[in-house]
Amino acid sequence: MNSKDQILNSIRQHSQVKYDRPVIAPDAIQFSDKVKQFIDESKRVGGDAVLLKDGEDVNQLIANLYPDAKTIASNVANITSTMNPDLVDTPRQLNGIDLGIVEGEIGVAENGAVWIPQNVKERAFYFIVDHLIILLSKDKLVNNMHEAYKMQQFTGYGFGVFISGPSKTADIEQALVKGAHGAKGVTVILL
Amino acid sequence: MNKNHVTSAERFLKDKEGAQWHNETLWITREKRDKMAMGIPEWEELRELASSIKMHAITHLDEYLLQFAEAAEKNGATVHWAKDATEHNEIVLDLLRKHNAVKVVKSKSMLTEECCLDDFLCDNGINVIESDLGERILQLLNQPPSHIVMPAIHLKRQIIGKLFEEKLHTEEGNSDPTYLTGCMRENLRQEFLSTEVAMTGANFGIAETGDVVVCTNEGNADMGTSQANVHIVSMGIEKVIPDRDSLAVFTRLLARSATGQPITSYTSQYRKPRKGGELHIILVDNGRSDILGNKEHMQTLKCIRCGACMNTCPVYRRSGGYSYSYFIPGPIGINLGMLKSPQEYYTNLSACTLCFSCNNVCPVKIDLGNQIYRWRQSLDSIGKANPAKKMLSNGMSILFNHPGFFRSALQMAPVVNKIPRPLKYNKFNKWGEGRELPEFAPETFTSWWNKNVKR
Amino acid sequence: MDYTYKIGLFIPCYVNAIYPEVGIATYKLLKHLGLHVDYPMDQTCCGQPMANAGFEDKGLAAIEKFGELFKDYDYIVGPSASCVAFVKENHPQILAAHGHVCQTEGKIYDICEFLHDVVKPDKLPGEFPYKVSVHNSCHGVRELHLSSASEENVTRYSKIIDLLALKEGIQLTEPKRADECCGFGGMFAVEEQAVSVAMGRDKLRSHMETGAQYITGADSSCLMHMQGIARREKLPVKFIHVAEILASGL
Repeated sequence: MNSKDQILNSIRQHSQVKYDRPVIAPDAIQFSDKVKQFIDESKRVGGDAVLLKDGEDVNQLIANLYPDAKTIASNVANITSTMNPDLVDTPRQLNGIDLGIVEGEIGVAENGAVWIPQNVKERAFYFIVDHLIILLSKDKLVNNMHEAYKMQQFTGYGFGVFISGPSKTADIEQALVKGAHGAKGVTVILL
Repeated sequence: MNKNHVTSAERFLKDKEGAQWHNETLWITREKRDKMAMGIPEWEELRELASSIKMHAITHLDEYLLQFAEAAEKNGATVHWAKDATEHNEIVLDLLRKHNAVKVVKSKSMLTEECCLDDFLCDNGINVIESDLGERILQLLNQPPSHIVMPAIHLKRQIIGKLFEEKLHTEEGNSDPTYLTGCMRENLRQEFLSTEVAMTGANFGIAETGDVVVCTNEGNADMGTSQANVHIVSMGIEKVIPDRDSLAVFTRLLARSATGQPITSYTSQYRKPRKGGELHIILVDNGRSDILGNKEHMQTLKCIRCGACMNTCPVYRRSGGYSYSYFIPGPIGINLGMLKSPQEYYTNLSACTLCFSCNNVCPVKIDLGNQIYRWRQSLDSIGKANPAKKMLSNGMSILFNHPGFFRSALQMAPVVNKIPRPLKYNKFNKWGEGRELPEFAPETFTSWWNKNVKR
Repeated sequence: MDYTYKIGLFIPCYVNAIYPEVGIATYKLLKHLGLHVDYPMDQTCCGQPMANAGFEDKGLAAIEKFGELFKDYDYIVGPSASCVAFVKENHPQILAAHGHVCQTEGKIYDICEFLHDVVKPDKLPGEFPYKVSVHNSCHGVRELHLSSASEENVTRYSKIIDLLALKEGIQLTEPKRADECCGFGGMFAVEEQAVSVAMGRDKLRSHMETGAQYITGADSSCLMHMQGIARREKLPVKFIHVAEILASGL
């Protein structure tokens, strides 16, 4: 008998009382001002979130936020960049980018997380850049993860990630350090 | 090594400053969890839901595993089934050999720790690189983790600084965490960029869609898997959950319980392999299916490995992970160790006052303290009962079963008060090492009742 | 509250021998409130020390006897949250495992919960003009729910504080880490002596940092453990059971 069958048999042999699936519809937290909550949480988790003002040019805003960025990579239409990350042959070639700009699909007010279904050629892009900007329409903000997962979609790449703030660690004496391996800073621009 | 918690804890406490720091730091993590919990009005409802979802999932495990495997395979992943640690390790080695890989970059996985994968791979000439900062530090020090989420919590920065000087050639005397982390970022980035095979654990496996979910703060799981052509996932069979509605409950509870954050920096969902790459998911049993048949202890299968129980446990905080002989410490570790091998790990059972704080913080409501109580009842039948405690219990039993004798004994007890100090306080009196003995009252309650109330 | 009900007084073994004043205070309190109180003489122990050490079965005879002794009372009330919790939570399953019926179900109360939930006095005589730090013992909090557990997202409450607040002149406070374990844990205190004392010292320090003159709680076992440390380290804080404070002046 192969291992798969052995394991399944063992499970069936040992299973006793069966428990029903509960109804998953908790009275989950709601926010009267999702935008404000999202911005506050983004800051609390070590990132940042800014609202694009009426008439403000997003590229100007980005330039103001990251004036020192030399390599700016993005595949988003109408975003000023110095390179298109989708033109690389290997993901290693994405190393050394100062600023990456991507689009997000869902923003979660309770924790400042943004759902990004892979929308670049190499998923490495989300993690390898020094600083990450996520563009998100403020109409795509939801209150909590229940709402987010109900809306969650994947692209053909078959990968997605919720990003909440920069990469961080507190493994050395619980001292919080940003930029352990991934982005040292994350800013969500709410459009 | 049959470590004894009592003596290990004594040793841990000798370093008063270190012990105090350990206690305070873990308590702060508990407080951060509290702050999160109090900020979610539906917190207790979520815990109850999480518990129910897990009880449902583990009691329908065969169905969900089959559903998961089918969905994953349809997505292009390869699903392997490993009945034990040995088989898991062999599958990994096999995959490495198939791809002519002599190096693998790993993100944190307590399951691979359980399977002793790293040692096995090293013995077979594979260069294993742990990429979680804490795990990497321990790997370089050749030490095991002392906490399942904050593995290097027991180490001071100076020790890490010295280690980095030696291994990474960092600045002499510089033990600033930001500096050291930055150096490791540079160092490991080179490893990420040059790896063919990356390994991760799995926080959750979604049966409905075949997704593997990995939660990290560092982004190391993603750094490795997004560069490598081959992604190997080690997943305990108990990690499968029905669907994304279930996932929502767990992603709301996990980081809040573990570190006091609303969510980890990265919650990645792997559905398909990278274009041109491979995704291998190894489903590991290693005793889990047996636990299903253990009515008193099957709740341990609900565990999502958050570590909240350790952070709140007053004994863990004052004795550290190394005082426990099982590789997972604290309340969940005591229970998992007993499930693995009571004969080997029973000494950890003393590490509990039955305060039940762990029950209250567990996001999936495992009755951790109650299970420890029940394990203690089973010790005598496996010949591992503490003889002194047994003798004491026997003595108490005799005393308490004879009311007349009991009353007389109590009447005479005050005599003990007058025993000369050296006879009372010596190495045989464990109570007396740090405390004064209580004094027996000159008149017992029974005696008072007889004199003043009984007609 | 039906004042014709008969109350059986449950005096834990170590309270009988070491802190009889706690039993006496409990009796006086219940009498003052107009209740019928009796004390079955043959009681010895609830079985907890043996059970927590892993020898449930060695307490079986005492547990059965307990049920026998108290079966005809309407309420069983005792000044020990820990012992009462043991009777409430463990007697039924230990007895059931040996084919016996539990005769104390639904009747057993700790003195604090009995006063708060059943008798509900709105005043108590006497004064206690001192600053008192409340020790929330683990079994009291997490098994008997005498106060809300700090881990849980529930509305904060404390039956002990509600009762103590009835005493004239009292100043009530709680230590930081309000319900962290003091480290007694029955035989744990002896088996894991080093951790037990470390926990006790920390707890004592937290209490003393409130500036309280007295430390009080529903469990004399916790108080005994902390008192042992206080005496060894010659610390000036005093210890008193909640029942004694409530009964002061009687």
